[in-house]
Amino acid sequence: MTTLTRGAYAHPETSLDFKTGTWRVERPVHHHRNAPCHVACPAGEDAQAYLASLEESGPRAAWETLVAANPLPAVTGRVCHHPCETACNRGAYDESISIHNVERFLGDEALRHGWDYPGIPARRDGDAVAVVGAGPAGLAAAYHLLRLGHPVTVFDKLPVAGGTLRTAIPQYRLPRDILDREMERILAAGMEFRAHHILGRDVSLAELQAEYPRVFLGPGCQVGRAWSVDGVTPSDLHPGISQLQEWIAVGAAPEARSVAILGGGNTAMDMARVMRRAGTKEVHVITHKAIPGPGVPAADTMPAIEREVRQAIEEGVVVHEHRGVHRLILRGEKVIGVEIVHMKKMVQENGRLKRIAFEGTETVLHVDQVIPAVGQVVERHGLGTILAKGRDYLQADELGRVFQHPKLYTGGDARGDRGTVAEAVGDGRRAAAAMHADLIGVEPVPEVKSQPIGIERLNLNYFEHAPAPEEKVLPVEDRGETEEIEGGITARQAAAEAVRCFSCGNCFACDNCWTLCPDNSVLKTRDVATDGTHYVFDYDYCKGCGMCANECPCGFIEMEPEG
Amino acid sequence: MSETTVDIDIAALRRKQPRFRGIEAGHRACLGCGQALAARLMTEAAGPDVTLTNATGCLEVFTTPWPESAWRVPWMHSLFENSAAIAAGVEAAYKMQGRKTKVIAMGGDGSTFDIGFQALSGALERGHNMLYICYDNEAYMNTGIQRSSSTPHAATTTTSPAGKARMGKRHLKKDIITIIAAHHIPYAATTSVAYPSDVRKKVRRAMAIEGPTFLLIHAPCPLGWGHEGNLTIEVARLAVQTGLFPIIELERGQLANAMPIRDPRPVTDYLKVQNRFRHLFADDLRAKEELEHLQALADYNMETYDLRGEGPDAMDTEAADTVKRRGTRWA
Repeated sequence: MTTLTRGAYAHPETSLDFKTGTWRVERPVHHHRNAPCHVACPAGEDAQAYLASLEESGPRAAWETLVAANPLPAVTGRVCHHPCETACNRGAYDESISIHNVERFLGDEALRHGWDYPGIPARRDGDAVAVVGAGPAGLAAAYHLLRLGHPVTVFDKLPVAGGTLRTAIPQYRLPRDILDREMERILAAGMEFRAHHILGRDVSLAELQAEYPRVFLGPGCQVGRAWSVDGVTPSDLHPGISQLQEWIAVGAAPEARSVAILGGGNTAMDMARVMRRAGTKEVHVITHKAIPGPGVPAADTMPAIEREVRQAIEEGVVVHEHRGVHRLILRGEKVIGVEIVHMKKMVQENGRLKRIAFEGTETVLHVDQVIPAVGQVVERHGLGTILAKGRDYLQADELGRVFQHPKLYTGGDARGDRGTVAEAVGDGRRAAAAMHADLIGVEPVPEVKSQPIGIERLNLNYFEHAPAPEEKVLPVEDRGETEEIEGGITARQAAAEAVRCFSCGNCFACDNCWTLCPDNSVLKTRDVATDGTHYVFDYDYCKGCGMCANECPCGFIEMEPEG
Repeated sequence: MSETTVDIDIAALRRKQPRFRGIEAGHRACLGCGQALAARLMTEAAGPDVTLTNATGCLEVFTTPWPESAWRVPWMHSLFENSAAIAAGVEAAYKMQGRKTKVIAMGGDGSTFDIGFQALSGALERGHNMLYICYDNEAYMNTGIQRSSSTPHAATTTTSPAGKARMGKRHLKKDIITIIAAHHIPYAATTSVAYPSDVRKKVRRAMAIEGPTFLLIHAPCPLGWGHEGNLTIEVARLAVQTGLFPIIELERGQLANAMPIRDPRPVTDYLKVQNRFRHLFADDLRAKEELEHLQALADYNMETYDLRGEGPDAMDTEAADTVKRRGTRWA
């Protein structure tokens, strides 16, 4: 060693002997939080996770992440009302991630390449379960039971699977070849499918319960709710749901020059659009609620999916919002018009909402057909006392256990408080998990809905504005009975959506913490650390300044008080 | 959920980091020190084959409390005023020995703008092949927050206190980059810790040039500026977004490049997060006037360097720090 005669010297990096971590009063920690899209999804999909898989590992990995929750992405990507996009934090920044289009893209890729569901064990030696109804609720339950190792038999009255997806969703929203292929794959996942089985005719609930320790009931709502105006009904009355089913099955729609459809739900919108396609000039939809739009309170919004309402209006359907039918105008027993009146739900002295008709606002609509689409109820046949007298729907807890019948589970439309495909899929998944727990002797517990991470916890400085993808949409003049209206997005557009995702509450390995730590106390690992990230805090030196937490784009780092 | 990893050998991992470590942990900078970050980013880009000289100042003190050193490259300190002079000497010696090692002189704004200015000017004038880096935290922080000629107008320091007589510093921030430009050196630039990619890019650019080069890095001092340590980047970013600290490049003294400001922010956004400007938000007519004065200075910068962006630009204040999955954006 050279002797230095003046001054002082020190060896390199000897500062490491001095542990500045002792200064710390707060420590940074990695904290995973659920993205809003994940919390909002009725089916339980984690869109943030599959967008991340898409960017990191490609469409197949993303699809596999997706079908861990929902086996029918090609269907839900098309028909879902995507509350995930309403919840998306990016919506408050520029435009929400087009999650439904990514979901649809992944579902279509899976069909195109014939990918098989991952995670279904070949040996399924759990207890057998029967599923009644091959709609989205029943099929999701069956699929998740297979994943959990149970043999499943699915019964349906129709010759093919699909339920409401097949009988009540028009082809321009859900093309039949997509549905057929999705059904083919899910049936091939390992469940036994018994078609042409009507509950109470070909098989009784008692027989099912004798043979299967647990039974899932997913009958849907196949019967139009009884309807009259002060006890009066026209002689040629057909409820919307049966007309819709008939049109979808055989292409027959009632002949009318003008029609009034009563109700603001999806059946009403579908029926209205079907009537336009069948050549009805004037199609009026009469709803007590408001057309969906910004600033309209959820409680006052028509239950129909916003996109469907918008497209129906584009196609010439006239929606009369905040209106109710006061009186039917009949010639003999045939309808020649309806008297409608302005109506709104108002808060009463007892705090309840009551529908109020405003006197003096009555007008007459000249129509030659009235189609009530005021809701559907469960078909009672075969359910016996399970469907209590005076009740329209099956009563069940959050897990899907039917009240007073602990070995029966239910989900989907039959519960009465649902109404969408995604909710049905979520019910099926939750019921499957509960049945599994139940069958292996564990008390099933409801899923805990966690608080999603808000936009205020993200650092938006690190993101760039970028628009949502433009989707091809069939022009109104080209819309017909079968051709799909929405064209979806390309692989390139889907990949761009994955890049746009804020990765709320989840590390996306941007290197910010590693780059910005003034104290070299964030270390990068090639291996994945135990918390799933590629970064480790070195608490020997971290002074707890909190810069990493403040600059984390995803809100993944939090400061916790020291011991 | 809050557990980070346990089964990784952290000491071994530290030695395997996929970047050059010129300055190591264990240094005694305050929480959220902008200068510590700037020095770390600088050495990452400058790489191992450098020799550093350091003027007296925080960086010198917090990296080398005897007998420790945080440095992993040759580094020397002599006096407050002579960082550029000893760098010039080292460079001349290396030249004699036929060595290509680049010499980097470092100093704070006190040693650069004031005390070591003639040594810097001389080194630039003699054309030494060296890079001079000034970490600009706008006051003598090491000795107790005394005003320097880099302290911005109206900022309070211990020697320019806001009070009855004055609204903080009476004088203006010295326009050092224009003085440097007058030396007709090949490359001079400003940058900020808020834009790490920009810092590294400019260090690499300066290192590649034969001849004297100069880099001014805006580096907030949480203690001296009066903001929490976790806000260092945010404060630095606002200095750029308001136009108070323009990010520019000069080639042979001529303006060659400026980081466009996409959405200029009012100067109050920057001032209100720092205690050194707190007096400007008092109910006082002089305060209102000084706020307008600072806004006018920002507007002057915008005009002088044509900072106002014309629509989104990949290099502007909003895009220059955009991150991507897997760190692909940081260069």
